[in-house]
Amino acid sequence: MPLIEISNITKDYKEGRGNFDVSLSIEKGEVFGFVGTNGAGKTTLIRQMMGFLKPDSGNIKIGGLDAWNDAAEIKKRIGYIPGEIAFPDAPTGTEFLRRQAELLGLTDMSYADYITKKLQLDPTANLKRMSKGMKQKTAIVAAFMADSEILIMDEPTTGLDPLMRAEFVDILNDEKKKGKTMFMSSHMFEEVEDTCDKVALIKDGKIIAVKSTLEIKHNQDKVYKLEFASVDEYLRFTGESFDFAEQREAQNQVLVNIHDTEIDRFLSVLKGYKIKFITEIKYSLEKYFKTFY
Amino acid sequence: MFSKTIFKQTLRSNWKLWVVFTAIMAAMSALVIAVYDPKMIQGMMDMVKDMPGIADMMGDRMDGMTSLLGMLGQSFYGMQGVILALIFVIMTANTLVASQVDRGSMAYLLSTPIKRTKVVRTQAMYLITSVFAMFLVITIVGLSTVQLAHHGLWGPDYSKDVKAASDVLNLDRDAVADDLTLILNNEAAVKAGAEARGIQEDVYTVYLNQKLQTKAYEAAAEVLGIDADAVTKDLSLIKNNERALTAAAKVLGLEPAVYGATLEQTIAQSSLSGNAAQEMQAKFMAGITAAAEVLNVGAGDLATSMGKIKDNPKALTAASEAAALVPAQMFPEGTPAGVIAEQNEAAFLAVINGQLANDEISLDKGVDFSVKDYLLLNLGAFLLMFAIAGISFLFSCVFNLSKNSLMLGAGIPVAFFIFQIMSQVGSSLENFKYLSLNTLFDPGTITGNGTFWPQFAILAVLGVVLYTLGITVFKKKDLPL
Repeated sequence: MPLIEISNITKDYKEGRGNFDVSLSIEKGEVFGFVGTNGAGKTTLIRQMMGFLKPDSGNIKIGGLDAWNDAAEIKKRIGYIPGEIAFPDAPTGTEFLRRQAELLGLTDMSYADYITKKLQLDPTANLKRMSKGMKQKTAIVAAFMADSEILIMDEPTTGLDPLMRAEFVDILNDEKKKGKTMFMSSHMFEEVEDTCDKVALIKDGKIIAVKSTLEIKHNQDKVYKLEFASVDEYLRFTGESFDFAEQREAQNQVLVNIHDTEIDRFLSVLKGYKIKFITEIKYSLEKYFKTFY
Repeated sequence: MFSKTIFKQTLRSNWKLWVVFTAIMAAMSALVIAVYDPKMIQGMMDMVKDMPGIADMMGDRMDGMTSLLGMLGQSFYGMQGVILALIFVIMTANTLVASQVDRGSMAYLLSTPIKRTKVVRTQAMYLITSVFAMFLVITIVGLSTVQLAHHGLWGPDYSKDVKAASDVLNLDRDAVADDLTLILNNEAAVKAGAEARGIQEDVYTVYLNQKLQTKAYEAAAEVLGIDADAVTKDLSLIKNNERALTAAAKVLGLEPAVYGATLEQTIAQSSLSGNAAQEMQAKFMAGITAAAEVLNVGAGDLATSMGKIKDNPKALTAASEAAALVPAQMFPEGTPAGVIAEQNEAAFLAVINGQLANDEISLDKGVDFSVKDYLLLNLGAFLLMFAIAGISFLFSCVFNLSKNSLMLGAGIPVAFFIFQIMSQVGSSLENFKYLSLNTLFDPGTITGNGTFWPQFAILAVLGVVLYTLGITVFKKKDLPL
């Protein structure tokens, strides 16, 4: 049984906004990415998972409990990073984290200290004067410090510089190794591709596709780009029996789809041609999802 | 029911606002109490009475102002106290819920394993506690100020004259205060007492007699088991009950039979027809006018300071002649004019002394401070704010945006306040009072003898309903966090 089971969720905000018949299941220990453009309905779904919004229909079960009715009980197992960072009144980051720990019933702050150090955060700074990145880091510490088994994160890397983003991905990988289940939304494909096991694409409130990133990485259908030394060579090659994705006569270039089983034939054919360069075009999640738009 | 942790955290972020408002309010009420001076207020009242325009505008409020509590009820508990508490309640109610949802910081409270209902219940609890603590502090500061500025709140208080007289008599103050005849029967004591009060001996004697009479009526009323007011209105009640008569007579130090005779006379006098009383009044005013002419002051001014007539023999003669209080047919034919003048003068003096003694008695009442009424006043103010905070809290729970929460959560209480003020300004706007919740807390009904418990109950019930409603709405609504 999946740890998080989202079944036929509809939350209609009219004018095409909201969630429409969304179903997803997330297994224990899985890192699940949730991608979509701004306004696609990512935050709406996360708020329903947190029990802040009540679905119009459908239900969400987390660990067998209903996300709306048993919201408080479920929170014992969840760490949450909200999409919008607005802290309660507290003078410093340290004080905020201390009060949050108090609410969570947490006495051991060693894990919080560990994450703080990892993110190179100085939590003693004035909470209100913190930069966007510092606030985001503080929010990350608050979500992780209880060492909860489930982490729900709404665009957790906003405001982080590339270096910190890498550090954050590092932390996620550590957590993953500990067997935690993570659900994170993002509008950046590379980010989820690097960290997630499975990625769902949401568009206009509907789930368009769910794809395992492993499948993307080990894709056997590869695309190669070739440029020939002359127009004659180019024209001769287009006569070969390959699956051409694109032909660019002006540049003497072709893009050709080659399945891994064809690679030998492809190479032997190429021996008879004068080519300027050959390069493999990496298959990415973005490319995959682009086909759905 | 409540989360101690959240309560503590809410307290930590909100205590400053509470301290500021509570300090200002406590200081204001203490100031009103400290500067209260019955003599000054009485002077002001007399002045206002002479200006018909202002007197009309003040209306009923004038009557309430002649005692410390009445004054406090009209000023602090009618205006400053209410408006300041109102602002505090509006700001706090919005901060506790709507503003946190609006900003998004509520997400941090709700991403913990604390139930949504518990969170919002704790916030309501803070609001109620803070308002209660506010009026508790104001009450304590107020009582302390009364004790410091006017004394006599804790333990018996003796008026200045009793203190002076008991020194002269070399008697215990308690004993003297209990039996004022002790002063009356000792010339030196009367002299000392009058001096202490700063009035003339004859006025003081009248004052003592009036006080004794009131006490006698009270004693009788107790025996009869009825209200002292009822006895004062119908003196035959005492006369027709032997035990009541005995009790009253004992206070005055008289034989019941002698007192009975005096009573009979008083009853006969008071049964004078209305016409006769009016005639007397007119005669007296004519006397005052005549005296005013001699003294070259306004008749109105003189009416409030009749002591001046006594100080000026010429004025007294002119006044008593003009008034001619003793009806001519009372004198046998051929009574010398000198005797008539003498008798008239004596009668006029008696009336003046009576008036002056009355002034002294109302001064005594001015500083008369009922702790119970004061506590009720504060309870009423608290209940009003409890209900109004309920309104603000409800809208704070209903709306996700601060601006919407404030529109109704502040708009409605402020409108109530304005409607109440409008209803007091003129009789044409009086019906506005039915549009205002503030009408349910009317300090006048507490310091006067009005009914207020039903209104209190309505405020309390209304408050509970509003909070419950707010909590229920918050529990069920969608939160954009």
